[in-house]
Amino acid sequence: MRFSLNFIKEILEVPIPASDLVSLLSLSGMEVEHFEKVEEDWVFDIEVTSNRYDWLSMLGIAREMAACLNKTLTITYPALCKKPVYNDKRIHIENSKDCLFYVGRLIRGVQVEKSPAWLAERVTHCGVSAINNVVDITNYCMLKWGNPLHAFDADKIEGDIFIRRAKKEETFVGIDEKERTLGEENLVIADAKKIIALAGVMGAKNTEVGPTTKNIFLEAAIFSPLTIRHSRRAVGLDTESSYRFERQVFSDYMEYASMEAQCHIEKYCHGMFAGYQEAGKKPVVAAKKITFQYQHLNNYLGTIFPRQKIKTILSHLGCVVKQSGGRITVLVPKFRFDLKREVDVYEELSRIYGYDKIAAQIPFLPPVVKKDEPYEFKKQLKAKLSSLGLKEIITYSVESQEESEVLVNGPMITILNPLRQQENALRISLLLGMLKAITYNVNRSREGIRFFEIADVYMKEKSGFREKPFVSIGLAGPAYDFFYLKGIVAEMMKCLDIATYELKEESTPHFTNALSFFVGGVAAGFLGKLDAQTKKKFDIQQNVLFAQLDLNILRQHASLKAYTHFSAYPAIWRDISIALRKDKAFKDVEAIIRADNRLVCGWRVVDIYKGKDVALDHTAFTLRMFYQSQEKTLTSQEVDTVHNAIRENLRLQDGIVLR
Amino acid sequence: MEQEIRRLEEEFQRDLQNAITSEALEALRVKYIGRKAVLNQLFAAIPTLGNEEKGRCGKQLNVLKNKIASLLDERLNKETFQEEKIDLTFPPVSIDRGSRHVISMVSEEICAIFEKLGFAIVEGTEIEDEWHNFSALNIPLDHPSRDAFDTFYLDIPPSRDAGKFLLRSHTSTSQARVMMKAKPPLAAISPGRVYRPDQVDASHSFMFHQIEGFAVDKGLTFAHLKGVLLRFARDFFSPDVTLRFRPHFFPFTEPSAEVDVSCFACRDQKPETRNQKCSVCKGKGWLEILGCGMIHPTVLENCGIDSKKYQGFAFGMGVERPVMLKYGIDDIRLFYENDVKFLEQF
Repeated sequence: MRFSLNFIKEILEVPIPASDLVSLLSLSGMEVEHFEKVEEDWVFDIEVTSNRYDWLSMLGIAREMAACLNKTLTITYPALCKKPVYNDKRIHIENSKDCLFYVGRLIRGVQVEKSPAWLAERVTHCGVSAINNVVDITNYCMLKWGNPLHAFDADKIEGDIFIRRAKKEETFVGIDEKERTLGEENLVIADAKKIIALAGVMGAKNTEVGPTTKNIFLEAAIFSPLTIRHSRRAVGLDTESSYRFERQVFSDYMEYASMEAQCHIEKYCHGMFAGYQEAGKKPVVAAKKITFQYQHLNNYLGTIFPRQKIKTILSHLGCVVKQSGGRITVLVPKFRFDLKREVDVYEELSRIYGYDKIAAQIPFLPPVVKKDEPYEFKKQLKAKLSSLGLKEIITYSVESQEESEVLVNGPMITILNPLRQQENALRISLLLGMLKAITYNVNRSREGIRFFEIADVYMKEKSGFREKPFVSIGLAGPAYDFFYLKGIVAEMMKCLDIATYELKEESTPHFTNALSFFVGGVAAGFLGKLDAQTKKKFDIQQNVLFAQLDLNILRQHASLKAYTHFSAYPAIWRDISIALRKDKAFKDVEAIIRADNRLVCGWRVVDIYKGKDVALDHTAFTLRMFYQSQEKTLTSQEVDTVHNAIRENLRLQDGIVLR
Repeated sequence: MEQEIRRLEEEFQRDLQNAITSEALEALRVKYIGRKAVLNQLFAAIPTLGNEEKGRCGKQLNVLKNKIASLLDERLNKETFQEEKIDLTFPPVSIDRGSRHVISMVSEEICAIFEKLGFAIVEGTEIEDEWHNFSALNIPLDHPSRDAFDTFYLDIPPSRDAGKFLLRSHTSTSQARVMMKAKPPLAAISPGRVYRPDQVDASHSFMFHQIEGFAVDKGLTFAHLKGVLLRFARDFFSPDVTLRFRPHFFPFTEPSAEVDVSCFACRDQKPETRNQKCSVCKGKGWLEILGCGMIHPTVLENCGIDSKKYQGFAFGMGVERPVMLKYGIDDIRLFYENDVKFLEQF
């Protein structure tokens, strides 16, 4: 909301410079977003929060300024004149829920011309364009009182006036010359033949006041805020008028605004008042009474509020205050719809007194709410994964359904009002986000693409939905192969102290060589290598490895890792060269090794080789076996005894050739 | 003969100077004092010499043999035990380390500060309903006060009690969630992703992060709210910052305030001389960081808490903005592009 300081000065004496006003207003709640000198005036742009409709008027702003300056605003009200009654046209309100009260004043013989300079300046400095003297006067009065007014060319109104809902497909051309198709959600002002205004939003072109206008019908009304809100939203309009009606207007001021506009039109446009007419009933606003205890105010703010200030501050804001003992009764002015409970009064008192005068204190907060286990789990996992050399990423949870469906099958929760088609559904997998992050980096030739993300996915289910946290891991580049990914998963399980989990080969769309991950017999995700086709789709040439695991399931099986005792004696190793027939798997070798639990403390594949001396249907590798005792340093003979036994067991196995 | 011995010695000295590896030294040993070496050939020729010459040359040959052996040993020792002198100005090996995303890291940092003050971390869900996102928090569904909270709605059948489902537009939803479940005294801090249909540009994103904090107990006051936030600001930004509480309007708090922190970049300057070009505060001296207030009694009542008995305060802040201020990041999109060049800086 823009306001002119000169306009304010018509109503209130302002004894301090404009620049001092800025911080004074901002620190008491009227935030000045911008201010500048325009000719001999100062123009302020303030933020009007939705509770303060009254700041959409110079009177409201002046009242606030007066309170900040420790003054009382005195308003001069124009004498209301409602005679003679004008009977030629009747006003019909179709539904009093849409329009409670409607007032018309007929003014004859006006001369429509350019406004005098002061008037044009007032409205333009408040951000409203100057049009002609009649329109500028209606806007001037709107700006002053907060109540929108509209002037029709009375000679163009045919027959009675109707305040009714628009019919389906009825069209309306506004003073902005744009044609709009209306519907039943629009409230209109119509005459016997046509729509002459979109009620509370904009007047129609057909009755616009122009240079040839002689007679004026001046409208003032109380429309339902909700009706105006729905109506202007339906046609995508937001005007000075609708903005005010939507936030509610004060009915007492409506009559003054209308009266003052009439006086100005008589004075500046040489018109003659010719009649008054009204329909509906002026809403009666009951004066609210709020009672509170002085002690409660202090207990709420955490300070000793100076007692004598209570009456001063509140009466400057227009309240009537009575005190008896510790009990304070506040009669709220009718124009303050937002003051309803004692806390509302506490805010008025504390903000004018100054929030800065309340000294900071530290409360004692007993630890009662239980620690959020999932949060702690995720926090620890993030620390572990980054210690494994992975970089944490954050990708969008909302993605394109079309793009996502190419990768993962499953029902998605869609957004009913998406901003763009790129973001129209909630993800059911972290894969797309990961691939996008990888592509972004591959396109820029970045190295070190080892990512993880911890985020929720959203499952559409028969009875609603489920939101579940997952971890995803993505690796890209020549340095990483499937076993690197498997290693990260293994290390992650070590960190979580999940000793037993199963990996089962399972075909997974878009992946070659994928393993499903099971813990406690429950499927909890997968790891795999992205297939060539999918890589091509994302324009990635390098290897891409991806894993995704369900955190809720991991958390159920994870535990605080306890210390495990380890041997103080050295481990001794022996190599075995093995050629394994391809119908056998490494796990078959492992099974044989595991069968002999004497002294074996671990094994590792140190070399996989291909060459002329390896049969095509065999895989040749060197297996390094480690032996260790908890009690002593092993001798060569002790190691050899066990080692040779294992060798012999391996040799006897069909499909294993020792080299 | 004697001439040959001298020549041999000179030749050896030359060879020794040229030998720079231990292999070369080993080759010299074979060449000069090995079984088939030149020296041995000379020894073999000794019996053919005259008596006097025999004695002298034999002696000279022995001296030479020992000398060669000891020179070789000496050099060999030097080669073995003294490491090669290397050029230390070669570039270091590049180390590829893991890293935390700055948003998630700072989010944890902020939560940890409040944890120390007695707040417990509680995460809410991102899919919420109208009741928790709006109604419970005293935001009427059809009112201008809702315009500040544009929201993504979801195609999940509405619930009869809680209305339509949506992506939460703020983390304040956890206020209602926690208060409905637990009875006071309670103090919780709730971080997470939130969503609003905003066009993406350098300072807007349709997905961003917030942290909501609140406490409800007998006798909690506005002064406590100020104390808790001041403690946070001094811990998070710098021990010498101050806070400015500006009255504001939020439907779920009364009194409400917006909070500015004094600029931690140009803090030493007086307002008159403050650097108008300060890249952090642009010369304003203050940076808006959060919104807060005393929990509106209607919100307490909506969640089944007796507002006559209990009072509380609440505050909510974005994570992106303080991170951008603290690290001098000028574009919010950097957080979600996940460029390695960005990620590796934290």
